[in-house]
Amino acid sequence: MSLEELAFLALAAVALGTAAAALLVRELVHTILWIALFFVDLSAIYFLLDAPFLGVLQLGVYAGAVTVLLLFGIMVTRKRIFSRDAATGIGAVPLALAVVTFIFLVASVGELPQAPTPVASIAPQYLSEALFGTFGPWLLLLGLVMLVAVSGAIYLVREGRE
Amino acid sequence: MTSLPIVGFVALSAGLLAIGLFGVLTRRNLILILISVEIAMNAAILNFVYFAGFLGGAPALRGQSIAVVLVGFAATEVAVGLAIVLALHRVRGTINVAETSELRE
Repeated sequence: MSLEELAFLALAAVALGTAAAALLVRELVHTILWIALFFVDLSAIYFLLDAPFLGVLQLGVYAGAVTVLLLFGIMVTRKRIFSRDAATGIGAVPLALAVVTFIFLVASVGELPQAPTPVASIAPQYLSEALFGTFGPWLLLLGLVMLVAVSGAIYLVREGRE
Repeated sequence: MTSLPIVGFVALSAGLLAIGLFGVLTRRNLILILISVEIAMNAAILNFVYFAGFLGGAPALRGQSIAVVLVGFAATEVAVGLAIVLALHRVRGTINVAETSELRE
């Protein structure tokens, strides 16, 4: 087993572990810490996949912006930041549903090569050409959606409703 | 050149989606539900990135471009989701979804 495969196995284990821990700990601030680690770990996986631009984007947007936004959401919705959530059980039916989904997804992809497959490295300059060339309309659409979303968010939280 | 097993990545993203689904179904706090959706969304983005890497060439550029656009959409989704959380907190004083069931009745 090569060093890259070992690195992938370790990163994948950390990703699954932190995602599960984020949902299972009772202190909400700890959830944010776990989810920040999860985002950083996914960014490391992108770097391992030779996708440096996405790795940096993951660090900036998720580990940076989304984490702080979620922390902000927790800060303004509770009186004491460190206060435990009411206990919520594991729940047999949702757990079974999650396991069935996992098995179904893994089983339904069909025949895949078991041996390690080479990963194509994509330099950011080629990605930018594709993004602003072929995918230009998509970026414009994304900008439009963001504009509408921010307007909607301001409308939702504005003062003086009701 | 890096060589990695595809099967491992499929299992990883399927596992993340399963964890996200489990969180959406069991958690009661709206912020935790939002986090679960983000975990599932990250599984989908990871899908695009690793299949792009394994296919190489033009499909790789397409896959990574879609992943970049998806990251933007996911960030937008968090912003709107938190606005809903704040609005709900202001009107109801709680963000526990078990206690906010007006629309159900």
